[in-house]
Amino acid sequence: MNPDDIEFIAENELVQVISNFNSPVIALIKGNVGPFRAGLTTHVPLWLAVNLRQRRQCKIVPPSWMNVDDLEECKTREKNLRIFTKMPSDHYIEVAKLLLDCSSDDIPQADEIRTIIKDIWDIRMAKIRNSVNSLIKNSSSFAALDNLTMFEINSMMPLVPACLSQIMRLKKPPRGLNTQSQFPSSILINTTNTTNSL
Amino acid sequence: MDDISSEDILLEEDESEMMHLTPAQLVDRMQETWINEIRAPEILPYKYEYVECLLEHINSMEENIETLQTASLVKVVHQLEIDRFRYIIASYLRTRLEKIELHVFHILKEEDTRIEKNELPYLSDGELQFAQEYKNSIEQHFQSVLSFWPGMPPDDWKNNPVVPNLDSFVFLKSKENVEGVIIDDSDENDIVDLKEGSQVILSYSKIADLLKNDKVSLL
Repeated sequence: MNPDDIEFIAENELVQVISNFNSPVIALIKGNVGPFRAGLTTHVPLWLAVNLRQRRQCKIVPPSWMNVDDLEECKTREKNLRIFTKMPSDHYIEVAKLLLDCSSDDIPQADEIRTIIKDIWDIRMAKIRNSVNSLIKNSSSFAALDNLTMFEINSMMPLVPACLSQIMRLKKPPRGLNTQSQFPSSILINTTNTTNSL
Repeated sequence: MDDISSEDILLEEDESEMMHLTPAQLVDRMQETWINEIRAPEILPYKYEYVECLLEHINSMEENIETLQTASLVKVVHQLEIDRFRYIIASYLRTRLEKIELHVFHILKEEDTRIEKNELPYLSDGELQFAQEYKNSIEQHFQSVLSFWPGMPPDDWKNNPVVPNLDSFVFLKSKENVEGVIIDDSDENDIVDLKEGSQVILSYSKIADLLKNDKVSLL
């Protein structure tokens, strides 16, 4: 899954928009949106908000967490605690990126917000790198990842699971020696070797 | 035996569930199925009901919006939503085809055992046909290539088919409280309880059954 897919999923989040046109309720498959009344707010999925904003048919109301004070507090908390804190949104980084890219005029102090989000991301990524490091050194085969968002998990995607699988494989009894292993032998066959022998 | 009965129950649940699944829930299920398929190392049971049902919604919506003016906002919005769902379905099916191409011998063998045991097949009819044709063309190809190589046992390459690495690690989120998941095979006491909503990284082989029974979802 590449980051675009995660962004695609994040686009399902709801945001508020102020439209500048009138329209009755639109019955989408996933649920109704609208009615749109010029000057009034209504909830729409992010993908629709971005599209309407690009056609200059609405203004986006930034989500309640997207202001300097709250994010600053979030950042301090993240910095002071050793664990991962709960983020205001499960897709904070993607939502922030999409909104700041397409409607930075609608968001007060957009540049500050951009910087703080980047700071939070950096702090969390540093924590991730640290915990991955200790995870691999202990070569444990389990770790809890509460409060990590999908995008952050995806960022360690190819490397961490591959690394752990490799360690597991090294720890296993060598193939062929232990036929009474608890696994059927077909599972023990290592994929790389078989690819080569093909 | 255990597996069969649990799968049968699951099917019944699914069918009754489909009756009162709102379109919004259907879309969420489809999205979850899509992510699971991308993340799982092996091919998962084909979610026939979700795909068909969502396609039905899409088709009827397309018929409905045909009468609207091309440039109207409503039509554009509907079209955008339809395109998003089409992307999910297309990506889901394509991921499955990629897996079939990679593990065709393994998947067909597993599928045969399932049919023998009277279990539900994992592949859809179309996928099964694709898999068989793909296998035939590969076999044909190897036969024609290996005939230029005297002394090479003609069926040797078949003994080592590519199999999915079921021990590979996956990120998952628990959908309900699950107790006693074994982490390490070498130590039976090394177990963990998953709380609803908790996220962990674990070896796929330990949670494959939980995933197929819809207790956890992959991230």
